[in-house]
Amino acid sequence: MESLNLAHFHLLLNHLPTISFVVALCLYFAGLVNGSESLRKVGLVLFFLIAVVALPTYFSGSAAERALCPELKCPPGVSPQIMRKHEDLALFSFVLMEITGFFSWLALWQLRKTTKIAGWNWAVVALFSIASFGVVALAAAEGSGIRHPEIRDAAEMALPAIEDAESTGIARSIGAVMAGNTGIGWLWPASETIHFIGLCMLFIVVLIVDLRLLGMAKGLPFKALYQLLPVGMLGFTLNLTTGLLFFLAAPGQYVNNIEFHRKIVLIILAGFNVLYFMLVDETWAIGPDDNAPLRTKIAAASAIFLWIGILYYGHMLPFLGNAF
Amino acid sequence: MMEFAQWLENTGFSTWVRESPRIWAFPVILLIHTIGMALCVGVSAGINFRILGFAPSLKLSPMGRMFPILWLGFWMNAITGTILVMQDATNKLFNIDFYLKMVFIALALVVLRMIRNRVFLDPQVDKVPLSANAKTLAVLSLVFWVGAITCGRLLAYVGPIVGSVG
Repeated sequence: MESLNLAHFHLLLNHLPTISFVVALCLYFAGLVNGSESLRKVGLVLFFLIAVVALPTYFSGSAAERALCPELKCPPGVSPQIMRKHEDLALFSFVLMEITGFFSWLALWQLRKTTKIAGWNWAVVALFSIASFGVVALAAAEGSGIRHPEIRDAAEMALPAIEDAESTGIARSIGAVMAGNTGIGWLWPASETIHFIGLCMLFIVVLIVDLRLLGMAKGLPFKALYQLLPVGMLGFTLNLTTGLLFFLAAPGQYVNNIEFHRKIVLIILAGFNVLYFMLVDETWAIGPDDNAPLRTKIAAASAIFLWIGILYYGHMLPFLGNAF
Repeated sequence: MMEFAQWLENTGFSTWVRESPRIWAFPVILLIHTIGMALCVGVSAGINFRILGFAPSLKLSPMGRMFPILWLGFWMNAITGTILVMQDATNKLFNIDFYLKMVFIALALVVLRMIRNRVFLDPQVDKVPLSANAKTLAVLSLVFWVGAITCGRLLAYVGPIVGSVG
């Protein structure tokens, strides 16, 4: 039997966002309608988790394409045009899902302070979650057409094959601009710089919050530290955005790069780590000069370990892997 | 100057850093430089954000305990930075971008000292609201660190203006 490759992985993961979004949407809107905070909270947690799982789902798509069409040559019955459409819709839904995940996290964070989602945020989450679901459903429908000619409609089948279908589509165009193919050479270096600034913002939180929990500067209560968390999340947003641009510009550097896979695995684990701090109450009860419970210390130490690991694998992309 | 740069670049150690296929030569030295940046700028920026009014219930005096982490990061970078310049001296020492980075770091350090003296060593810290001066220092500190990171990152892309690798 053939060993499991990233294309299998894409097939395995790609149903998750669509299906779990239905569940999350139902729970969230049921929570909004009957005013149940715990239902809404479960919906928010699910939106956040979907945003985390969307990372490997999105990034493995490019690997699936390479497995299906090696050397850019697709077997008969596989349409590169449909693949480009699928890629574009997947990109939009990925971005929308990450935005939904960000605001869901923000809502969970706000719940800690006021026990009520701020007036505007429930609507933002509702709006982005509906949009994400709509687009991801379209992406899934388009994606299933790649290998299933029996479900394509006759008009689409009759379209003549476009020679340079490879280079069409919005995702490819963004990638080409980013890579400097249109003559704008400073986008990549500028994004690298922002990636490093985002890293420092992320480490504000990783260092100050997690080192406090481990026992340094104990005078700080967690209730005060939590106010810093959005700075870290904003840093992550900068890095996810610039990271996505690097991926779009040069997918070949990343799809089969083991260092990149490891980096994504650690980011997923870091996502669970973030969720742990959002959901477990004992951390939030830590007052000035309190010793953090052992479980919290383990979670804090893992956070430092994970983020240094993410930095390590990102840094080693060109040295151990095949990037650049 | 050029002879000195060539000598620096051709010392056994520089050559090893530059050419060794070992992961703990160039890649790990650059990795330590990045982690050092995260420690130094991470803590410093955290303090600056707090001075600017983010996380207002966070007390500044316990945050002062984090200074050793900041200095640890700084010295990690001073040492690895020196090595990184040595192994590419004929380029780096003739690159305006490198000197710009050094100026930014020097200014950031001056501002950091001023923040330490005027905010953290002030017996009234956490008791009275922060002065406008303190906020100006925090903004300057952020600007200088962002400047240093930008120049540092761009060193990978900006070539020297005089002299070439040949």
